[in-house]
Amino acid sequence: MRVTQSMLSNNMLRNLSSNYNKMGKLQDQLTTQKRITRPSDDPVVAMLGLGYRDSLNKVQQYSRNISEATNWLDSTDDAISQGVKVLQRIRELTVQASNGTYEEAQRGAIAVEVDQLKEQLETIAQTQVGGKYIFNGENTNKAPTAGDFSDGDIELEIFDGIKLNVNTKGSELFKSVFNTLDSLKSKLEDKTASDTDISGFLDTLDSEIDHFLKIQADVGAKQNRVDMMKDRLSSQETIATEIMSKNEDVEIEKVITELITQESVQRAALSVGARIIQPSLIDFLR
Amino acid sequence: MVSTFHGLETAKRGMTAQQLALYTTGHNIANANTPGYTRQRVSFATAEPFPGAGLNRPQIPGQLGTGVQAGTIERIRESFLDVQYRSENTKLGYYSSLSSALAKMEDIMNEPSNSGLQNIMSQFWSSLQNMADHPENLGARQVVAAKGQMVAETFNYYYNSLDGIKKDLGSEMDVTVKDINTIVSQIDELNKQIASVEPHGMLPNDLYDKRDQLVDQLSSLVNVKVTAVKPTQYGQPLPTAVGLYQIELVQKDGTSFGTGAQLLTVDTTTGASQQNELSITAENGVKAPPLKGNVQSVQVGSVTLDNLNFSGKLKGLIESYGYIDANGKVKGYYPEMMEKLNKLAYAFASEFNHIHQQGYGLDKTDPAGEFFDLGGSTDYDETINYAQIIKVRDDIIKDPTNIAAANTPGDNSGDNEIAFELADLKSKDFSNYSVSLPDDMSGTFDFYYAAMIGELGVAAQSANTNKENVQVLVDSVEYNRKSVSGVSLDEELTNMITFQHAYNASARMITVIDEMLDKIINGMGVVGR
Repeated sequence: MRVTQSMLSNNMLRNLSSNYNKMGKLQDQLTTQKRITRPSDDPVVAMLGLGYRDSLNKVQQYSRNISEATNWLDSTDDAISQGVKVLQRIRELTVQASNGTYEEAQRGAIAVEVDQLKEQLETIAQTQVGGKYIFNGENTNKAPTAGDFSDGDIELEIFDGIKLNVNTKGSELFKSVFNTLDSLKSKLEDKTASDTDISGFLDTLDSEIDHFLKIQADVGAKQNRVDMMKDRLSSQETIATEIMSKNEDVEIEKVITELITQESVQRAALSVGARIIQPSLIDFLR
Repeated sequence: MVSTFHGLETAKRGMTAQQLALYTTGHNIANANTPGYTRQRVSFATAEPFPGAGLNRPQIPGQLGTGVQAGTIERIRESFLDVQYRSENTKLGYYSSLSSALAKMEDIMNEPSNSGLQNIMSQFWSSLQNMADHPENLGARQVVAAKGQMVAETFNYYYNSLDGIKKDLGSEMDVTVKDINTIVSQIDELNKQIASVEPHGMLPNDLYDKRDQLVDQLSSLVNVKVTAVKPTQYGQPLPTAVGLYQIELVQKDGTSFGTGAQLLTVDTTTGASQQNELSITAENGVKAPPLKGNVQSVQVGSVTLDNLNFSGKLKGLIESYGYIDANGKVKGYYPEMMEKLNKLAYAFASEFNHIHQQGYGLDKTDPAGEFFDLGGSTDYDETINYAQIIKVRDDIIKDPTNIAAANTPGDNSGDNEIAFELADLKSKDFSNYSVSLPDDMSGTFDFYYAAMIGELGVAAQSANTNKENVQVLVDSVEYNRKSVSGVSLDEELTNMITFQHAYNASARMITVIDEMLDKIINGMGVVGR
């Protein structure tokens, strides 16, 4: 085949520019740390990438949802504990008032304290988390008044399609306690009431405390569930990040090695080019 | 007897011929880097020997050579390689324009990244989830309104940018059509110049080169078939004369269009030429330029092509810009992508509105209104550009308590059921949508969008790969062409020395004959003087 100078120089130019092209791609990969910058680089990676980003975002959002659920459950748990303490104090007072040694005035003082404790219980029923009344059903913006609670379940999504009921309805928790306390108070104020009349409340109070503890156990079970979900989500986040990274991130050692190879190819091409292109017959004619 | 001065004439012929060859060498060297130049060669032949056959021929031992005769100055070129080059170059033009149009589309869609629709939708979903966590929180609601606006604006941005590029492609097409017509008219002009040289028995090599170069350029724009015609009334052209080019627009496989599409015809008797201009008609019969609307048909002169089955840059532009296919449907990468965006915006926004309207704003007793504004249309209408007009309704932006998170009316600020339902919409199957959707939509929002990006990726990748492959073929044919027609300086210098030596030797011949004559004239017959 007849080969001319312009063929050689054109070839060399083309090869050099294709080398530069490859180096540019590698440089892109190094600086962006991504194997692809546009869908046509690898349509499959691009499509999968969209899905992986989405699942990573989901996992992160569900983590946020879970911390909100934890807020609800922890506050509920705490409020119930306080409620139980209040009820136990009332029970102690009731025991004292019913042992026959107390006088009317003393019973009156106990009645005042029970009333105070009832108010304390009402305050507990108005517990707020982040401005939300947690015992007022779905009507979270309004404070419940004694014995008058709104209804409604509040559910949070803690994973794809998995919803968890996070609120404890005041109407369920406090359903009869305020009435019990009211009648206890009126009995204490009632001068004709006998010791047995008052000690008769002990059973009712016990069952109220049991009711509180039972609901607290429910909340505790949910807390466990949320904790487990939290662990699962954090490992999911690691996995999702890893999958995404495997899909689209570059292997840096590989890219650097390729870049160095490409650089030496480029150097070789340049030096060969300089040798081939330079001389022609004219250099040897006088 | 041979004439006394015979050798002088032979040597003189030698000198003229070598001189001619030397000048041609100079021409080759001077044009070594001229694009489209074909190296030239003087064809040497021996002159008529002496004596000719005949009864009265002189009695000498045999025929005596009378030197060299310079025949014609010819181009060294293989027309088969031209045909190959042009057919590959057409494909290169086609794939290059496709590849660049699709690259622009990829730039606009900008996936995978943190600013593409996928990410914005994820953010919108997150904001809805956050609102579900805190339905009574005005801040969380504000974020939903803001992210909703971002979704709408991303649709708007995509649509408007694609529309902008589509318009640019339209202008590029107008320019390309003008280029095609200009090149054909330049070829026509060159034909006329060539027609004034060839009948005189000469070869207008440099005009041939210019004409072939123009055909090369034309071949990257559309595929053409070139036929050389030597009219019957054409004086005395040399047998090696090329003749006049007739140019026909042909289909992808190289066959003629059913209707025929002659861009340049040459009369086989008189050589009179006629150019038929290429033009484009957009939908509704609007003639370009300027191109307004998708391409309906292409005309060559008064003939309308029966299909658009050709190749080259023009076809790449038509396929990107959009055209009406045989079934009256709009096809093309840009309009199809824009249509998909419209469908997606319509489907998502109207189902979102539908769910939203079943809910209630914060502590509101009346059902919520729409979230997205789609210009008030109810059923999908393919003449409306939903992706362009979609926005979040003003009353939502002004007062985010109007966003429905609750499922029931009244005081229930903690109710978040609708908020979750709205969030779920992103991964809800189209078949479970309550609103009626445009045809052929399947999967979920996420899948549909991922498929759009996947299809774009595949189309762009295949255009890029094909472009690279065809580029290799074009380069290789060009290499072969250069191998035949390119100027090699070494070769020209070798020739230069050869011709120079031959020229010098011929000159020396004259000196020798001069000495011979001197001997005869001045040195003979002086005996006894």
